Parts: sequence; C-alpha cells; structure tokens
Amino acid sequence: MAFKRTPQTFNCSMNEVTFGTGEKAVTIGGENVYPLYTFDGEIKNKVAIGVEITDNGFDASVPGIAEFYAGCEGMAAIAKRASEMPGASFVVLTLEGADPNGQNKSIEECAAIAKEVADAIDCPLAVQGCKNIEKDTELFSKVAELCAGKNILIVSARQEDYKTVAASAVMAYGQKMSAESAVDINLAKQLNVLISQMGIAAENCVQNVGSAAAGYGFEYVASTLDRVVGAALTQNDGMLQMPIVTPVGGESWVVKESTASEEDVPEWGSREERGIEMEVSTAAACIIGGSNAVFMRHPEAVKTIANLVNALM
Amino acid sequence: MKYTAIFKVEGGGDVKCHAEPGENILEIAQKAGVKIDVPCGGNGTCGKCKMRIMSGSLSYDKGSGQLSDDEFEDNWRLACQATMEADVMLWIPAAASDYISGIVTSGLRTPEELKKYNEMLDELFTHDLKKGVQEKGYGIAVDIGTTTNAVTLLDLQTGTILSRGTVGNGQIRYGADVINRIIQQGRPGGRDRLQKAVLEETLIPLFEKEIKAAGIDPMEITRIVIAGNTTMEHLLVKANGDSIRLMPFQPEFLEHEPMKASELRLPVNPDAKVILAPNVGSYVGGDITAGVLSALLWDKEEMSLFIDLGTNGELVFGNKDYMLTCACSAGPAFEGGDISCGMRASRGAIDSCVIHRQTLMPLVTTINKGRPAGMCGSGLIDVIAELYKVGAIDAKGKFIREDKRIRDDGYGDKEYVLFYADESATGRDIFISESDIDNFIRAKGAIFSAARTMLKSVDMHVTDIDRIVIAGGIGSGINMENAMLIGMLPKADLSKYSYIGNSSLTGACAMLISDDATEKVYDIAHNMTYIELSTEPGYMDEFSAACFIPHTDSTLFE
Repeated sequence: MAFKRTPQTFNCSMNEVTFGTGEKAVTIGGENVYPLYTFDGEIKNKVAIGVEITDNGFDASVPGIAEFYAGCEGMAAIAKRASEMPGASFVVLTLEGADPNGQNKSIEECAAIAKEVADAIDCPLAVQGCKNIEKDTELFSKVAELCAGKNILIVSARQEDYKTVAASAVMAYGQKMSAESAVDINLAKQLNVLISQMGIAAENCVQNVGSAAAGYGFEYVASTLDRVVGAALTQNDGMLQMPIVTPVGGESWVVKESTASEEDVPEWGSREERGIEMEVSTAAACIIGGSNAVFMRHPEAVKTIANLVNALM
Repeated sequence: MKYTAIFKVEGGGDVKCHAEPGENILEIAQKAGVKIDVPCGGNGTCGKCKMRIMSGSLSYDKGSGQLSDDEFEDNWRLACQATMEADVMLWIPAAASDYISGIVTSGLRTPEELKKYNEMLDELFTHDLKKGVQEKGYGIAVDIGTTTNAVTLLDLQTGTILSRGTVGNGQIRYGADVINRIIQQGRPGGRDRLQKAVLEETLIPLFEKEIKAAGIDPMEITRIVIAGNTTMEHLLVKANGDSIRLMPFQPEFLEHEPMKASELRLPVNPDAKVILAPNVGSYVGGDITAGVLSALLWDKEEMSLFIDLGTNGELVFGNKDYMLTCACSAGPAFEGGDISCGMRASRGAIDSCVIHRQTLMPLVTTINKGRPAGMCGSGLIDVIAELYKVGAIDAKGKFIREDKRIRDDGYGDKEYVLFYADESATGRDIFISESDIDNFIRAKGAIFSAARTMLKSVDMHVTDIDRIVIAGGIGSGINMENAMLIGMLPKADLSKYSYIGNSSLTGACAMLISDDATEKVYDIAHNMTYIELSTEPGYMDEFSAACFIPHTDSTLFE
C-alpha cells in the first residue's frame, strides 16, 4: 500500500505577539504546527533574531564583535549599528550595569540609556534587566515609562515581580512582557496563569521558559521546550501558548568554550570561532525546540542562524 | 556550680530545679517534667517553645528566625536555643504546654464517630467475618499515633465500649515526626528512652485510667490489639528503626508475632495476648491496614480512595480485587507544625473560618470556644481557601491585595493578621504568612500528587474514583468544599466523600472482638501493593504541578 502522508496540524496555535511599532514591528508566534514542520503546514511567522548589547556597549574582547561596532561612539551609535546587523530584526538591551552587586548604576541612568537606545533605532527593542529582582522591578517600571509608545518587550517578569511588571509595563504603558521560569513546565504554566489572572491579554505576553548553553544541561531546556510546545498544540493548553523567546548570547558567551583564552588551551583553536559555534549550536537547538525568537551577539552567528531560518521556514 | 531555674507554667504550678551552666533550657524543663510541645524536636525551627524571662538571664543564640526582634526585646526566648548562665525564672504560656491537656481528637468520642463505629461493625459482621472471639473477658484496642494515642476498652463478647480515652504521645519531645524519632532511637539508649516514653509515660497511665473508669478487674483483660504506623510499632517493641528511613526502606519487621502483655509491662493480665496490626511497608503501617478494614475498601466493587491525613499522608486505592497504597510526607503543616501560628487541634485552635470579601475581617470558630490561640489543620484549609476566594492571595499563595490586615514582616514576607494581640489567647498577633501558606501548599500538593501518581500507575484518573474516604484526627472538621477549592482533595461530588475519623482505632476494635477480622487485616496487608513514591519517576513533576491553587492543570478542578 502506498504511503499516504497525513499533515499534522492542530486546531489551535501559539499566540501571536507583536512588539515594536511601524513597518519594522516584529510579530512572533502564531504557528499551528510543530517547530520547523513546514511540511505539515505554513509557519506563520519566522523566528526573529534580536541583537544583544548592554548598557556598557558591546563585548570588545571578541574581535568580530569589536570590528562590527568599530567607530561607534556612545550608546545611540552602538544601538543603531546593532539594528543594522544583517539577519537580525530587533535590538536587545541588557541593563547589566544596574546590578547592585556590580556597577550598581542608578535606575535613572539605566532607564535613560534605554530611552536613548529606543530613540536611536527604528526597529523594535527588548530590554533585559540585571537579574536582581528588587532592582529590576523598579528598573522595568521606569524603562516602561520612559519608552512609552515604543511597544517594547520587557524581559522578564518572574514569579516574584510579575505583578509589578504587568501593572507598570503592560497595563500602564502598553508595553509587552515576557514571563520567565526556570526550565520547568509546571512553573512556566503557573506563572502564565498568574499573569493572565492579572488580566494581561494573550497578545501582550511571551514566555521565556529558561535557557542554557548547549552542553550545559541543555537537555532540560530541550525537554521543557518540547513539553511546552506539545501541551500548547496537542492539548490546546491556553496557558502555554505564549510565543517563546530565549536569550542565547548571555548563556553561550560565558561558558569555558567561549571564554578560555587561546594561550591556555591552544589545542582548542580560535576563541572567537568557538564562541560563534557555541552561540550557533545553542540558538539552533532552541529554534528546533520551539523558540520563536532568540537573542544573540555575534554578527557571524546571527548571519548563520538567519540563513538557517530562511532555509527551513 | 549549679544555678536554679524556676518554670512558671501558665494555668499550672511552679517547677523549680537546678542545672549546670551551659545546660539546654528545653532539656532541663523536660527532665523536670514540664511538658512543652516541640514539633521540631528542639531545632529552633518551629518557635513553639517560646518562654519569657521574668528575672535572671539566659545565654542565647539569636540565630533563629522564629523569634522577632520585638519578642527578643520583650524577653521572649526559644527554650531549645537557650542555655543556663545564671539563676532564672521563666514564664511558660499555656499554648506551649496545652497539647497535653487539650488535644481534641477522634477517639470514638463524637456521636458521628460512634455512629460510624457501630455501622462499621454491623456491616463488617454481615460479611463472612464472625463476631466474637472464643474467650470471655475484656480487651483494649490501641491506636498509637505519632502525635496522639487513643484507646478503647471493650467487652470482648458483645463489643460494648466500656471506656475510652486519648493522650498525647509522650515521645513527642523527641520530635514531631517519625524521622526525628528514628534519629533519636538510633542514639545510645535511644530505643529504651522512646519505649519508656510511649509505655510508662503514655499507654500505661492511660490504661490504668480507663480500666479504673470501666470499673473492671485488670486481670480480666485478656486481649490487646495495637495499631500504629510502622515506626511507632518498631519503637513500641524496641526494634531497630534505622532501616525505615534508609535505602532501600525495608523495616525490621512487617508482621510481629503476638506477645504477652507482661513483655510490654502493660497493667493487665500478664498473659493477655498482644496483637500488632501488620505493616505493609516503611511508611504504610498497621494503622492503615486496620483503617482499611474499617473503611470497607475490601468488600466493594466500586473504586475507593482512602486518605489518612496526618504528618505522613497515607493513601490506599482499590476495591475487593486489588489495592494499591503509598505514603507521602506532607510535613507537619496539617497539625500546625511549620506554621507561624499553627497549633494542634486543642483548645483555642481556629478550626473553621470565613473571611469577609470587602473588609477581610475573619469570622472563626475555635475548639472548645476558647479565645483564638492559633490555627489547626482544618482552620488552615479554610483560611487559605478564603484568602484565595476573596482575592487576597494569588494561586501561588502570595498576597496580591492591599489591606490594613495585610502587612510586611520586614523581610519581604507578607502576612495576614486574623487577630491582634489584644484579641488572642496568646497575647500575640495571630497571622498567616506567605511562607506558612507555602508550607501548606506543599503539604496539600504532596497528598494530591501522591493520589494522582498512584492512580496513574494503574492508568486510572481521579474521575475514576467512586468513593473517597477521609480518615485521621485532622479530618473531623474539614470543609471538603474548601479542601477541593485549594486542590488538596480530588474534585468530586460531595456525596462521594465521607469522613470516618480514627479508622485505625475502629479497625483495632474489630480485630479485638473477632479473630476473623484479625485474619482479614492480615489478608489486606498481604494483598496491598506498596508504591514507593520516592522512586516513582513522575512524582516530582506531579508534585510541582500540585503546588498551585488549585492545580497547574485547573481542568482537574472544574
């Protein structure tokens, strides 16, 4: 008997979320097939790539990155250059300097940088905090206020601060938010439930279900992504249908493969190449798992992933 | 050189004793016979042994978070963290020692329990079990609980109850839960101490009291049946309990040969036969096998779920053809442990509560109508369900409403005040904090996920349950609707639920008056499949899904 292929499409889909304004606004999610399963049905929106910069600029220790931003003076110029990186469609600003255990920059200073970046680019902006809950809570409120009207994506709200982020960023200033949980489908869903119980509509929230560099416990990320996408599509679980965003650059550029110097491990070869490979393999693995957007740093890695996305979607 | 310590017990007398510098206050008090409730076993984590310095001083390590700065300034100390450094006079509030006098528990006392008891016996003996042992005389059924012990004195031929009583388990000062007790029995002389605590301090005085109340000759008592969890049975006969808590969790014995009363120094006929209800595994013991007999799971086509709520939650699922059982560690939250203002079900315990939607004013009932002193398990269920209903907490148990009754404890933890100091029996605020709610959510999550995991192992679902039987001392006042609302018990029609009180004691009574019933309990024990949840791969996942109000999968409660 001849093989008859049955397309596996679902009667439900991931939510669609749009951030940014104007022509370059980015929409992610919306698919009703498994990740990359174009043979089953159309994938409504391609995976989007965000270029990650920080309030301190960029990682000048990596030659390819330093070269890309060569000649940029000030955050506005760096942001503008990042927005032009081939293959990327939005900019991610990580306010790492706000960390009270680090540079401890003031809320005002950080928010002003966010505003400067938002004004300098014509593509959407996502803003990441410093991972200190208390500082981030205040920081996000201020950033949301200063960037009012820009429809930015706040990354991210956790169980401890989702109320404030939802109230200040989404309800008060119409921004979008991301719900962050630590590689556990139950925790992911619980946070999504809490956020929707606040009255946050589906089109205003994405989820970050956790990430890790490839080889660093990524199997947990992979199984979480699989289960989230599986429950969202096969069980029509509305509390897991938020599009998935995954920060990749911050994970893959801090592991030893990307940081060990060539003097220390000459047999490993070029540090930059290793870093790019870590970033590419991590991002690719996240996309296979179902991420609708990834945050990346290196122009070469961004280009590679953009090619992959264009070839497969 | 020795110092003098004087304990002034609220509502009791003064106790004076001498102690060396550096001696622990809690130990001094216990040695002197001052009864203090120590659910945590003296680790400084439960905050139940608070005492106030009236004069003199104590050497104190103020590391514990269970004492606020205000309390410290006000001369309150945790006895377990304090040592002697001078002569001292200490005031002990009634709440610290109340557990001994006032525990209200199911010992076939309430009309509801008696009715159940009679129904159960009637039904039991309409089956193939014959009533009556061959011997004449009297017998005593005993339920040794981790917290409370209950006995019933019966006429062996008629089954008539002549007297009954309960008392707190004297082992409690060695820790509130079985794990702490097992650790204690492993110390030098530990097994002797623990056996002495449950016999000399607990059962023997209780036996004497009940025999006197019944007005019979102790020599006429010829049969004793004892049901307890596996650990309690081990400690009773001085068997080594270590293997209960160590891999691969195989107890020293499951079934114990009948003994003579003289071996346990019980004040009855020295030749009286002492029968221990058989255990099924390390955490499913004779209290459950006896309980299942009285819950009548074994004679029905329909699928029943039996839940014994306590520090350890034990669950049995099945019908006349097969039975599964498992145990989960719910922690002491149902009995008020690990809860700032939690307490056992004794005088003054809030056992039910309604909270006003707008004002958040609580309307409560307390046990014995005392001034509110704290919350017991059933009260906690209500308080949390009500806080959720009025939108004061979110599904994670975090406060999301602002109100004058909801305050910050200064460390980022919020708490809801039910009663202010001037309204309470303890002279301190009665409140529930986010971490209390979290502890409770874990306890209820443990029970519910155990039920789900056990059912899943036979590819069944909570909707397949025809009948749910709740047992345990905590259960008497449970508002089942609230318990379902917070996802502690499976969603089911209220008519499917029944509460049978102390099923273990009822089962022990049946074993006392019928050899057939005793046989049946052995049958039940042999036919139960024991599921060790700690090695069940899906359990942790189920548990984290259940730690939410009502559940991460809310369709289970729709």
